[in-house]
Amino acid sequence: MSTQDQAPYVAVCPECDVDLRTETPNEIVEFYRRHYRVTGHDVEFERAQMGLDEDVTSGDIKDVVWQLQDRYENGVPVGVIAAVMSDRGLSIGETLDEIHEVRMTGGLYEPQDDHLGAF
Amino acid sequence: MTQWDESQTQAVSSDITEKSNALPAKYFTDPEVLEIEKEKVFGQYWVYAGHANCIKEAGQYFTRTIGGRQLIIVRGHDGDIKAFDNVCAHRGSKMVEDTPMTDPGDAKRIKCPYHLWTYDLEGELKSTPKSFDEASLNPDLEDEEVQEYDAEENSLNDVHVDTIGPLLFVNLRENPMPLAEQAGVMKDRLEALPLEEYEHATRIVSEVECNWKVFASNYSECDHCQANHQDWIKGISLNESELEVNDYHWVLHYTHAEDVDDEMRIHDEHEAQFHYFWPNFTVNMYGTADGYGTYIIDPIDTDRFQLIADYYFRDSELSEEEREFVRTSRQLQEEDFELVERQWEGLKTGALAQAQLGPNEHTVHRFHQLAQEAYDS
Repeated sequence: MSTQDQAPYVAVCPECDVDLRTETPNEIVEFYRRHYRVTGHDVEFERAQMGLDEDVTSGDIKDVVWQLQDRYENGVPVGVIAAVMSDRGLSIGETLDEIHEVRMTGGLYEPQDDHLGAF
Repeated sequence: MTQWDESQTQAVSSDITEKSNALPAKYFTDPEVLEIEKEKVFGQYWVYAGHANCIKEAGQYFTRTIGGRQLIIVRGHDGDIKAFDNVCAHRGSKMVEDTPMTDPGDAKRIKCPYHLWTYDLEGELKSTPKSFDEASLNPDLEDEEVQEYDAEENSLNDVHVDTIGPLLFVNLRENPMPLAEQAGVMKDRLEALPLEEYEHATRIVSEVECNWKVFASNYSECDHCQANHQDWIKGISLNESELEVNDYHWVLHYTHAEDVDDEMRIHDEHEAQFHYFWPNFTVNMYGTADGYGTYIIDPIDTDRFQLIADYYFRDSELSEEEREFVRTSRQLQEEDFELVERQWEGLKTGALAQAQLGPNEHTVHRFHQLAQEAYDS
């Protein structure tokens, strides 16, 4: 089995039948953005091995960030949030839209690019 | 000739008879080269932007990033297509959201969301909010001293646009060579075909892990076909085929082993015609479908590129046969992706300083020459 086959994060565009396998969840978000920019297609998580389920009980984005932020030194990667929300039925695009909406209310902030803290 | 030692590399050879030096490997693997390419390749030459049929109505637009520049390509009220930097003349804000050609936007005017400076479809400044007409917050300035914003002087930065049939090209230079000069015979040949009668049917975008020039080189030759495109090559008589090289454009004429119905081709010759247009655009006429495809080979970074594959048929709804045709084309892509990613794995180790090219890789040689000329310019 190759390293790529074991990648914990896998996203796919069903329309183009292309995927991205990576160990870095934010690369999935970058992949989504690049792909959406030229196609308008959303991409979906096919696999996200985070091992977080016992920690994350909420379906609310701000609560999810709140529950996860102690695990990360300088913000929760948006790719992790997108993976968690994917389990709750939100596409990556919908998750990013919702993050934007909550940020605009002051509930979330970015201690570094594409990493979130909850306020 | 092959060089394993970086200090022994030379420029791309002038011809391919004796010492057929390829473009030195550092131009593929060095991260600084992509920055050079933004200026000297994508900033100098005509680059494909998109297809005019996707923006048929006045006000329809799409965005496209070329050489690091974000552009808006829009059809004006006069029917002409224009391109502007997607950057407001006030303080440089990005104006419209990224909008793919396949899902175009529609706007009567272009409005910057930051301070609401608004431009018409010709790029001229048409209105500014009241806060730009008076100086109510500035105790040192009287309202009558406030400058008037001239529509033309404060217009958007326009970018040259020209066309080959329905294919739209942009050039970021101030004084570019004419598109007709860069395209040469390709312009006449493509304009002789009814390309505008075909509608965009589907777009498939793949990300591939190799430098964009590795894929471009692979596309441009067929020495690898016999061993690696075994299904496709069955229908091709390779010995009767020809790879034609022009200044900025080369054509791979692949003769069909058996005649194909005329209805299945949009050109007269009994062949597939794959046109490569420097630097990163192809027109693919397979000769087995009443339609054509285009590729944009867009670098993401040194190690990755996006292949934007568009397919055009008589109707924008794919028939079953057309869907099967696209699948076949996808199969060829996937076979090529595997090859170029494998080549990249070897190249990026840095072991090979300079490759060499075979006698039937004259198309690749031309591509490498153009890259070398651009870097040296």
